[in-house]
Amino acid sequence: MSASPAFDAVSLGILWDRLIAITDEGVSTLVRTAFSTVVREGYDLSVVLLDADGALLAQGTQSIPSFTGSAPATLRHMLNRFPPAELRPGDVVVTNDPWMGSGHLYDINVMRPMFRQGRIVAYVLSITHLPDIGGSGFGSEAAELWQEGLRLPVAKLVVAGRRDEFLMELIATNVRVPEQVIGDVLANVACTAVAERQLLDLMAEYGLADLGPLSHQIQAASEAAMRARILAMRPGTWRAELMIEGIDQPIRLACTATLAEGAVALDFAGSQDCVPFGVNVPFCFTNGYAIYAVKCLAGAPIPNNAGATRSIAVTAPAGCILHALPPAATAARHSVGWFIVPLVFRALAAAALDAVPAESGMINMVNFRGTHRDGRAITTLHFASGGCGALRGLDGLPTISTPSSNAGIPVEVWEAETSLTVTEKRLLTDSGGAGAFRGGLGQRLSMRNDTGAALIVDVMGYRTDYPAAGAAGGRAGQARQMLINDRLLPHKGRFVLAPGDRLTRIEAGGGGYGAPGARDPQRLAADVAAGYVSAEAAERDYRAPPAKVRGA
Amino acid sequence: MWRATARAPDGGPQVAWRIGVDIGGTFTDFALLEEASGRVFVHKRLTTPADPAEAVLAGIPMVLAEAGAKATDVGAIVHGTTLVTNAVIERKGALTGMLVTAGFKDVLEIGRELRYDMFDLTQRFPEPLVPRACRAEIGERMRYDGTVATPLDAAEVRAAVLHLVQHERIEALAVCLLHAYANPAHEQAIAALVAAEFPALPVSTSADVWPEMREFERWTTTTVNAYTRPLFDRYLARLEAGLGEIGCAGRLYIMTSSGGVVLPEVARRYPVRLLESGPAAGALMAATLGKRLGVGDLLAFDMGGTTAKGCIIRGHQPLRRYEIEVARLHEFKRGSGLSLKLPVIDMIEIGAGGGGIARSDALGRLRVGPESAGADPGPACYGRGGTRPTLTDANLILGLYDGTRFLGGRMHLDAAAAAAAIHEHVARPLGLTPARAAAGIHEVINEDVARAFRVHAAERGVDYRACTMVAFGGSGPAHAVRIARKLGIPRVVLARGAGVFSALGLLASPLAFAVARSRQLALAGIEEGWWLAHMAPLIAEAAAPLRAAGVAEAEITLRCHLDIRYVGQGHAVEVPVPAHGTGQGGAALRARFEVRYAELYGEPLAGTPATITGLKVEAIGPDPLGGRPFQIVAGDAPTRRPARRLADVDGRGARDCAVYDRRALAPGAVVAGPALIEEAESTCVIGACDRARIDADGNLVVELAAAAEAAA
Repeated sequence: MSASPAFDAVSLGILWDRLIAITDEGVSTLVRTAFSTVVREGYDLSVVLLDADGALLAQGTQSIPSFTGSAPATLRHMLNRFPPAELRPGDVVVTNDPWMGSGHLYDINVMRPMFRQGRIVAYVLSITHLPDIGGSGFGSEAAELWQEGLRLPVAKLVVAGRRDEFLMELIATNVRVPEQVIGDVLANVACTAVAERQLLDLMAEYGLADLGPLSHQIQAASEAAMRARILAMRPGTWRAELMIEGIDQPIRLACTATLAEGAVALDFAGSQDCVPFGVNVPFCFTNGYAIYAVKCLAGAPIPNNAGATRSIAVTAPAGCILHALPPAATAARHSVGWFIVPLVFRALAAAALDAVPAESGMINMVNFRGTHRDGRAITTLHFASGGCGALRGLDGLPTISTPSSNAGIPVEVWEAETSLTVTEKRLLTDSGGAGAFRGGLGQRLSMRNDTGAALIVDVMGYRTDYPAAGAAGGRAGQARQMLINDRLLPHKGRFVLAPGDRLTRIEAGGGGYGAPGARDPQRLAADVAAGYVSAEAAERDYRAPPAKVRGA
Repeated sequence: MWRATARAPDGGPQVAWRIGVDIGGTFTDFALLEEASGRVFVHKRLTTPADPAEAVLAGIPMVLAEAGAKATDVGAIVHGTTLVTNAVIERKGALTGMLVTAGFKDVLEIGRELRYDMFDLTQRFPEPLVPRACRAEIGERMRYDGTVATPLDAAEVRAAVLHLVQHERIEALAVCLLHAYANPAHEQAIAALVAAEFPALPVSTSADVWPEMREFERWTTTTVNAYTRPLFDRYLARLEAGLGEIGCAGRLYIMTSSGGVVLPEVARRYPVRLLESGPAAGALMAATLGKRLGVGDLLAFDMGGTTAKGCIIRGHQPLRRYEIEVARLHEFKRGSGLSLKLPVIDMIEIGAGGGGIARSDALGRLRVGPESAGADPGPACYGRGGTRPTLTDANLILGLYDGTRFLGGRMHLDAAAAAAAIHEHVARPLGLTPARAAAGIHEVINEDVARAFRVHAAERGVDYRACTMVAFGGSGPAHAVRIARKLGIPRVVLARGAGVFSALGLLASPLAFAVARSRQLALAGIEEGWWLAHMAPLIAEAAAPLRAAGVAEAEITLRCHLDIRYVGQGHAVEVPVPAHGTGQGGAALRARFEVRYAELYGEPLAGTPATITGLKVEAIGPDPLGGRPFQIVAGDAPTRRPARRLADVDGRGARDCAVYDRRALAPGAVVAGPALIEEAESTCVIGACDRARIDADGNLVVELAAAAEAAA
């Protein structure tokens, strides 16, 4: 930190919180005005503020982790196309380019430069997952990018307050559900307008001509805190590998983690090459999740900004599956990229022992396309989560979205929006990995196609062949399965759900932590009484004498 | 009109006195009103958590004696209580069972599946109020359009309830069926069956408690209602019996979270509607004060020992909303509590009170609260073993409080202990001088409150700068002026009796009841006749509890709102509409909707169809005060007080500051800031260059100097 900071502890805390509150207000505007269930129910969104130099300054509390790493790069690409001198008040710049944005065509990145007294003082970037972007539809099916839909280069959607109607029309004519897509794009524009109004109010109130000194100080404080946390971990170099479900054969991911002098270097060399399916991961996404994983382990509530991430260096060889280059297909990049989090956890297990959880069942999304009973087109995602991995001292949470932070779709909303019928949404007994601390339960969710016509269903699953591993002697959670009627589906692919057919999702349990035999007998008994663990599993997995278990 | 009904049960003449009793976390407050004169006697005593009725029954004779009134002359007792909130936080409710649509018994546990903190791997969520073994699935099914997919089987219901009663020993039942908001027939059939065959088991059904789409929140609300019913029923029975024993035969009214009072039978059926009923009364009192002052737009600011609360009042009405979160695990962290849907006065709660603990955080920043020292051990200056510095310690060090006159001199504050705590935990670790540290604690709280109000107002599209602030609660008057300055609010009103403001608010609360329906009605297809079919029955339902209490038709005010959104959006905008069907065709409603939408989010979406998704009606009885002010009866004689040294609170340097006994300030008196104006329970801090005057009703009205002048 510099010798005489511009803001003392009091002012710094006040202004910092205000900046985060502005991004939170942007998130609230997105949720209230969005048209797609993906955004308004599923929270697949992010709002960030960046300073005039393009450094990340604040991020909405409820945001998707990947966008932390991607937003500054997105802004750089936008400013390469439209240098600050060419931007005017009221301009709004967009792109959905996977390499400039956040890894696939579905994420629309909407940026507004914010002017005070004729100068750009900050940028706000609002990002949401669009319900459709044309092409072959959301899924892992495409062999190359061109099949995946409309690719918008960096463009001005609004020029000095006037919307580019051609661009709007171009988007509308290329997607299956134009009302939803356009509605969501406009929700992003509204979000940036709300953030701008509030930031300018803040600067006027405190008489801030620019945000430079404040930004530098926020970053310096965050960087120092992050370094202190990393210094508290064990230095050294570790290598970890992870095998995950691929399309035709398993995919290998590798990470080398080096901790030295308060910095972490994560290198993903050794990860395999790209594949001819839509699961390749552009580096922006890799970077976002790698940073996110380290921040989770660091444990301190350090707000997200450029300073907090400065001591984390992420690299991956160009062309590997974690640094995919155009024209690789990337739509379902999450189904590979989300594994960066357990991979980094594995690599840092020796460095941050107690903080590392067992693996999680993770959130799972299924895309539906078809026609509502009332005639409306349906193109939408359905989210449901598996269980969380246990942690030293804590059982895993049941059915919680990790590593991405999305929400499940309420049954009543889903049925009204799609005319499918959900017949079951229950916790899955025995799905949590056994351990001194039990893995979180997954769920069983079934829905019947009552739309009266065939639906196209894209599944993009994982944790089917490689369930969530336990840690420190804990067992793995139950694997994920997806079925149509009684037919088990491959973990990824495109299927037809005929009228009356039922899609069933068995969402994976989290891994356990510590040897099952070390579980507190009272907690085990309570699990059996509540039905989280069956009496048979208690005996089989925990070797608990039956008499003791029945004592519940 | 409920004042007219406030008669002895034998129908005798109108009675002389009314009592407001508000049970808070620490204190139970009483306000006794003489109807004819408007004189009010107040009383404050410690809450008795083990049996909250005890303090009520002990306090009523005290305040009656002070006024020289007889218990038999009390026509009405208006009651607010935190009993329901505490029962949920402390998990002291009934063992509750649940009947739920087959396939969905785990919805309460599965929740929204969303983490409220991106990075915290240890975050937790509250346990459902109904244990898993007490949830029984019933093979019935409604579709989203309200049609029946699978009919209800009475034999299955009977067997399930019998099992829960006999084997799980449940004491209350929540009935939670999918899409009951669209068609409550199955829930109603279950309720009728249970009433007939298990008459001792109280039943709450989700469409009756609050019929809104999204099962997790609706069902959670229903379980809270069921969970608190037996306990609240027992409490009311004990209170009613106790009031009888002390000779108080007046009618009992219970305050709700939405700012109206209801009769005990309504409160017994919907205890979930009593959450935060005390603070709601405070907000309502602020609105009442605003009417008297002729100011419609207010920011009510209430700050006590543990939390601060804010409420925006527009056009003399507190803003309302339909969701509230209780029992947050991570104190005050949004998403860590039980998310409920019900009509409430729209309040923001901030973990910032006199007991808020100050510390330096991992990032080298000064933080205050939400952790509170509470009453035990309390702030360091209480000398009861507390060693961590609190806001009250800082205010004492700054000279804002007189350590010898705290609570009217009933408590002595230890300045040395306060200084030591601030030095050890704030000044030394952060490299600040003690004075800067204390001023910083004071200022961080001011900013926390101001920031929360700002976000709160922004979310509601309100420009608070045009509002007047009404401040109350033990700590409110010490911070109000400074917070108002941050918000650009030009005027602050500090009422007489600010310390028992919620109890006064109970006396000002009308009878009221709110109901809602979920309805999908496309605006384009609506003709004016829709009102008769959809709104008229709802209006009758809302007014029924008022009619039952004797309110005449002509004295019922109706507030009607429609939830409208564009087709495809998931969240509606609440649009106020007149309480009659005339001129409310589709085009007129669309115009109203678009005006409101533009206020909130900018441009409306031309050409996109819109639809009604919900109907809401609130029926409100007449103003029980009829616009008259309270005449608060003062205790002993006022005293002259010497000037006090004030540390540098506002960056203008330390200086001497005049101190006044509020009781000595007569209407018309003017005080120039900086000044401290002391009451028994609170101190009003008037900033430099600001002017305070006492108005005709005894309120302290502070006009803030223009920003430039104050910063000079």
